[in-house]
Amino acid sequence: MPELPELNPVIHGKLRLALLSLLSGVEEAEFTWLRAKTGSTDGNLGAQLLKLEEAGYVAVEKKFVQRKPQTLYRMTESGRQALTDYVQALRQLLGAAMES
Amino acid sequence: MTSNLESQELKDRLSLIEQMISEGRRTTESWGWSFVLWGVAYYVAIAWATLGKGALAWPVTMAAAGILTGVLASRTAAKRPETTVGRAMMAIWLAMGVSTFALMLSLGMSGRLDEHVSVAIIGAMLGAANCTSSIILKWKMQFACALVWWGAAVAACFTSDTITSIVFLTAIFFCQIIFGIYGMIAESSKQKRREAGQGASHA
Repeated sequence: MPELPELNPVIHGKLRLALLSLLSGVEEAEFTWLRAKTGSTDGNLGAQLLKLEEAGYVAVEKKFVQRKPQTLYRMTESGRQALTDYVQALRQLLGAAMES
Repeated sequence: MTSNLESQELKDRLSLIEQMISEGRRTTESWGWSFVLWGVAYYVAIAWATLGKGALAWPVTMAAAGILTGVLASRTAAKRPETTVGRAMMAIWLAMGVSTFALMLSLGMSGRLDEHVSVAIIGAMLGAANCTSSIILKWKMQFACALVWWGAAVAACFTSDTITSIVFLTAIFFCQIIFGIYGMIAESSKQKRREAGQGASHA
């Protein structure tokens, strides 16, 4: 029987998974947009984005637009790969759960 | 860790991924207002040119509508993330707008512009932009608008002045005003459904 894959704990958190999925569909997104889409609080969102950043899954860019600070997040290549691997692992686990 | 996960939880995770990816890509649908705005601008230009006989009616109204669209779009765009689809949409409509404006202005200044040529050019340009946009967005309703605009463009080449005017006014009504309002209603109801089904706020 083939060994079941482990789910990446960095991505497995519900909010972190939502954030990576959101970022996979866009080129870059502002903090406020991510907050609106996930319905999260500033503190929680910032903490989860920091974890993703530390894992190298998202890149951050801070800039000023019309004198207002803007924090932009972009998914990195390793983030995209990690999400792809996570989805594959999920599908494998689901297949195994259906069979058992 | 994985041994404790129930299949329902795994399905929920997959469904969350799908929902969020489509959420991220859904950034180009709230443009109904711009269709209505341009529809109204066309009516204003037609009324001004017909009643006031003003040579500046079309260039001034179109330029004003362009500036107004730019200002309103920059306000909403600031809240939205950048996507390839979004940039493609902007490119299509910008190219269409600039081409139409340059062509109409040049023909107008050279004295070679009449009602039939105007409707044919506007209809063909709007048909092309709506068709391209509908294929990218997979939006059948917008493709129907493209067909109406192409029909108007072809009709303008063969029909009388009166019929051409009626065809143009009708196409504006259905493809700008009605389609724009439909787009706004569709976006609003989708927004409500999204807000009702949202729930990823916990780590």
